[in-house]
Amino acid sequence: MITVRHLEKKFGDTVVLRDVNAEISQGEIISIIGPSGTGKSTFLRCLNHLEKPTGGQILVDGVDLSSSSADIYRLRQKMGMVFQSFNLFSHLMVIENIMLGPETLLRKSRQEAYDAGMALLETVGLAGKAMAYPDELSGGQKQRVAIARTLAMNPSIVLFDEPTSALDPTMVSEVLAVIRRLAEQGMTMMIVTHEMKFARDVSTRVFYMDEGVIFEEGPPARIFTSPQQEKTRAFLNKISLYRFTATGRDFDVFRLNAELEEFCQRHLLNRKQVRNVQLVVEEMLFQLLFPRAESVEIAVGCSDEQGDTELLFDYAGAAGDPLADTAAATELPRLIISRLTRDADYSRSGERNKLRLKLKS
Amino acid sequence: MNISKELRGAELTVSLAGRLDTTSAPALEHDLKAIDAAVTSLILDFAAVDYVSSAGLRVILAAQKQMGSRHGAMVLRGVPDAVMEVFEMTGFTDILTFV
Repeated sequence: MITVRHLEKKFGDTVVLRDVNAEISQGEIISIIGPSGTGKSTFLRCLNHLEKPTGGQILVDGVDLSSSSADIYRLRQKMGMVFQSFNLFSHLMVIENIMLGPETLLRKSRQEAYDAGMALLETVGLAGKAMAYPDELSGGQKQRVAIARTLAMNPSIVLFDEPTSALDPTMVSEVLAVIRRLAEQGMTMMIVTHEMKFARDVSTRVFYMDEGVIFEEGPPARIFTSPQQEKTRAFLNKISLYRFTATGRDFDVFRLNAELEEFCQRHLLNRKQVRNVQLVVEEMLFQLLFPRAESVEIAVGCSDEQGDTELLFDYAGAAGDPLADTAAATELPRLIISRLTRDADYSRSGERNKLRLKLKS
Repeated sequence: MNISKELRGAELTVSLAGRLDTTSAPALEHDLKAIDAAVTSLILDFAAVDYVSSAGLRVILAAQKQMGSRHGAMVLRGVPDAVMEVFEMTGFTDILTFV
């Protein structure tokens, strides 16, 4: 249905989408999640050419949107879009907002547009508000009207750009309920959302976007329970990450310590906790890992919600849990690490070793 | 880390300030190994130390052995609480003398 190849979008020198690749098939419900500012909305807006890509290809039913022969308006009609901010015409009644597109663009008769519009309002539970003006509606009701208006154009796919972000929390569920119903009816949808439970329940596939690419994708059960990428995991667990690559014993340890301290203090860790983070990192790197690895990627994660601090050491080299070492020379560092951590998990993935440590609070 | 020394007869006071870690421990190790054989009392002043790791602990342990081998004594003075925790968690409080 939609094929995206090497999609790129720049605003001046700012690269928002770097290299997005995706295949979207009919009937799929794709939730796009990720931190703010990582190009989720821009991706959606590129799909229907509200933003013109600066590179790559988007093919809709085999037609390349960037080709001069592509009928953008026709292709855009296949893709309905629901915005964060509703975008209803305030001088038109609810039913008129819905009828406008079908009458003017699909050349439907007034009666046809009205009948279809009323049926759609029924679907979103707002038939009784047909003659109301948008200003008389709550935020949730406005968004449900906006969804009905989008459906009135009989789109093949609906793109939702953070449909609940502008809503009072009490109104989020009524909009999500409408989207759920559309999902049950088999509507193809792409939804940029921060509602993780909703994304998990409704989606057939989840895209985690970060750094201008689809960083990780997969079925929701996998993405939400066992994401493969550390960034995905950190995002889902609301963990802030600090990363550092230490190569060889002569790396800039002063910079590492200074940055660790700044990161930890930003997340309100006290002096003792900062010291413990630095101590575990030092013991791991200098006493346990450098004898086995030339370069070690360190990630320190702070969960602002749970107050947990986690350390991840990722390195290539021979397999084996460094904490299971029994050499006398490493006894002291292992003792310090065991005293300061409450959980250690070693795993091997391909040629890389990963050791995850949870610090005692 | 700053290391300063004061010798009074057979008693040497080594005052440390800063972090005693992988990068600074070799310098302390060098200085402690070079202690004159006539020194029989070594005081390590930790009042201005704010961090110690296993690399530092090893150097202190080696100094303790060195002093023991010459029938001398070594004490650690003014260890701040945060640093004392590391001595405690490693069991060094059972081996070393603190004043």
